[in-house]
Amino acid sequence: MLEQTIIAELEHVVGEANVLASPEDLICYSYDGTFAEHRPDVIVLPRTPEEISKVMRVAYREGIPVVPRGMASGLAAGSVPFSGGITLSLTRMNQILEIDAVNMTAAVEAGVITAYLQEVVEAQGLFYPPDPASIKQCSLGGNVACNAGGPRCLKYGVTADYVMGLTVVLADGRIIHAGGKSIKNVTGYNLVQLFVGSEGTLGIVAEVLVRLITKPQYVQTALGIFPRLDDASRAVNSILATGVVPATLEMMDETAIACIEEAMQLGLPLDKEAILILEADGNDEAAVLREIEIIANICRQSGASEVKIAQDEAERADLWRARRSLLPSLARRAPNQLLEDVTVPRSEIPEMVQRVKQISHKYNLPVVIFGHAGDGNLHPTILFDKRDETQWAQAQQAVGDTFAAAVELGGTLSGEHGVGVLKRDYMESALGFASLEVQRQIKQGLDPKNILNPGKIFPAGPPPIQGRQL
Amino acid sequence: MGGVAAGGGERVEDMTDASQESLAGIKGISEEEYLHCIRCGLCSYTCPVYRVLVTETFSPRGRVALIRAAGQAEVDPGKNFGDKFYSCTLCAACSQVCPSGVKVDELLLGIREELAGRDLLPPALAHLSRTIRETHNISGEDNTVRLIWSENLEHPPIGSGRETAEVVYFVGCVGSFFPRSYAIPQAFVQTLETAGVDYALLGGNEWCCGYPLLVNGLPSEAEEAIRHNVARVRATGASKIVFTCPSCYHIWKHTYPQIAGSEMDALEMLHATEFLADLIDQGKLHLREMNQTVTYHDPCDLGRKSKVYEAPRRVLQSIPGLTLVEMSDNRENSLCCGGGGNLETYEAELVTALSARRLAQAKQTGAQVIVSACQQCERTLANASRQQRARLRVLDITEVVWKATEL
Repeated sequence: MLEQTIIAELEHVVGEANVLASPEDLICYSYDGTFAEHRPDVIVLPRTPEEISKVMRVAYREGIPVVPRGMASGLAAGSVPFSGGITLSLTRMNQILEIDAVNMTAAVEAGVITAYLQEVVEAQGLFYPPDPASIKQCSLGGNVACNAGGPRCLKYGVTADYVMGLTVVLADGRIIHAGGKSIKNVTGYNLVQLFVGSEGTLGIVAEVLVRLITKPQYVQTALGIFPRLDDASRAVNSILATGVVPATLEMMDETAIACIEEAMQLGLPLDKEAILILEADGNDEAAVLREIEIIANICRQSGASEVKIAQDEAERADLWRARRSLLPSLARRAPNQLLEDVTVPRSEIPEMVQRVKQISHKYNLPVVIFGHAGDGNLHPTILFDKRDETQWAQAQQAVGDTFAAAVELGGTLSGEHGVGVLKRDYMESALGFASLEVQRQIKQGLDPKNILNPGKIFPAGPPPIQGRQL
Repeated sequence: MGGVAAGGGERVEDMTDASQESLAGIKGISEEEYLHCIRCGLCSYTCPVYRVLVTETFSPRGRVALIRAAGQAEVDPGKNFGDKFYSCTLCAACSQVCPSGVKVDELLLGIREELAGRDLLPPALAHLSRTIRETHNISGEDNTVRLIWSENLEHPPIGSGRETAEVVYFVGCVGSFFPRSYAIPQAFVQTLETAGVDYALLGGNEWCCGYPLLVNGLPSEAEEAIRHNVARVRATGASKIVFTCPSCYHIWKHTYPQIAGSEMDALEMLHATEFLADLIDQGKLHLREMNQTVTYHDPCDLGRKSKVYEAPRRVLQSIPGLTLVEMSDNRENSLCCGGGGNLETYEAELVTALSARRLAQAKQTGAQVIVSACQQCERTLANASRQQRARLRVLDITEVVWKATEL
């Protein structure tokens, strides 16, 4: 519990209504998109970078942990406040500050919902490409903190590729503005990219300046149905070898298809091992049509039993609705999921898929495989019931084996979800001691009291949390 | 994984210390129902209340977490707990969008029932329940003056005082007693008469349908009204009941048969939009040209909760010259106006904020008129339009049809 004088000080900064500490509030701010939970001591909802700064000054002085939180749809328990302290909810900072159509940038507050930004810029013929599956329930601040990806990354890149500037509040309350509208900028270290993906451990992202592009006018979406998953994996590499870069290249295995079909009844085939959702887009209609034809032909040559091209926007929307609903629909199969996002070099996808199947068999736990096959980012998802202790133990072992397999194939632990707590114990095996040590030193330099999202990214154990124990 | 396991372990310890005053075994709520919530948070995006308050405690996901915590004895289900469940319009957008299939609206009604049973109904809502029990209407008026809305019509409605008829028009409390809404029953009875429909009004024999009691978590208190209303309708020998109020329509269609059973067998229940669409199909209404662009607001109780989407659109599209444009959120994704769930009684200021968002969507369509098919949506959106000085009229569909009806 925090002392009443500190609560009063926080209330003075953001207003009484924006400091929450009832048992009900603490329960509702104890979780994210995983099964992990831990209650904060207090929730503070600031409105401006200046208010964040004042909150940080109090936290720094007192050594209170501060965990930034957006829409809390994260999949690595990154915003779960395991050390208690202050949960800094940025949801009230939800204004789009500026859309600069000439320089093609948008300045937004951290709590702006990503889907809302897309809707607003697209109405002006502009485009913000990063599209995490949770696009409606995540915010720009969280996207920056986790360097969110999504299906469109293959062609358009990840969040980091669009962040040009940041307003960040440091652990001691100082506010810095990094980057800006200039496309070229080598004036000093690239602090913008240091904060992207730092998961709230180096500073609080308060405002974001993103790069926009023009909206592609034409889109074609195809569904490739593959009796054998291996063939689907190989088709992915064959398509990219032609020089065609699909806007997206999503793969789902048979269990994934069955889960979606159970939830949504879209008429997907239940007797095939995999489907690919492929999309071509651009501003030249003929080129887009040509690309989708090339894609469809390669699918057929690689063993697809059927290739359907969405005939209208409604059919296209159905395909995407299916993909975006996949993860939640898995809840029908088991109460808990461990959703991983290992990434391997693209050539290793078939091998990685085989290894995951072996792991599933070894621990007798269903594993659903889907993901962004075009960039080698797979989401093997282990289904289990945490109330069953044996299953819980086996699920954790299966995760360890999956990470080991990815690293062995030249890949890494996380492509887009981040490390949070769920992957921190595997960090040294993925990065090596020296690299991890450099990251620790950066953390130490920016957050000497270890109050910013403590316990995340770095393996448990020394160095100990130096903040006041709460 | 150490951190997660520790977190989980701590939660288990909490359970043993928690108060005995738990909600373990909430009526009709199984553990599996809330365990299906995987906390993806998609419901928050669609929740009209969350989007205004941007606070997890007032999000569907947060409410499911609270119900789970109560079921697992981690929180005392006292007044502070209870208060978290009434800032909600019960619009059911959360259930509609939930890919895990969690029936959030049923959980929310279930918890309201549990809270009412523990005497935790907020005072304003308890007062509403008492008024309905004592006067059989939501306004606390003398129920015998239920036809007061008809007094400034040129002649008394043909259906008033009729003992038998083919159709009963069930007016509902708001249309009967709220002067702002008189225009709806006025327009509808005149339309019925123009089309030559053989109809009756129940007058003082019509009691509040019971929907506000259901929403207050007091379904058993609605039973007396249900039996009474069914008996009075049956006494007329009518085979059809028609409603201009989607909430009356919804409870009659979904809850009445559970209570009245076979008494309901020969009764067909239709919302006014369905009834009007039939009249138009049968050539009984001749509609003249209206050169206006309108947008249609789906009321939650009629659309998402009763699946009536096409009838109102068919009615509007059969008016020559009228152009119907859709808002970005329509049909099953319709955004609640803020008028549902007894929220106006509990927290009127929040309703204002909710209706402003829906009005903004309507403005984007460029329509001159918002048409709804619910007196509560009409009032709520008209208030929003007035407060914002928007040049946008709000009409009920019965008013639009009456305006277009050629005499």
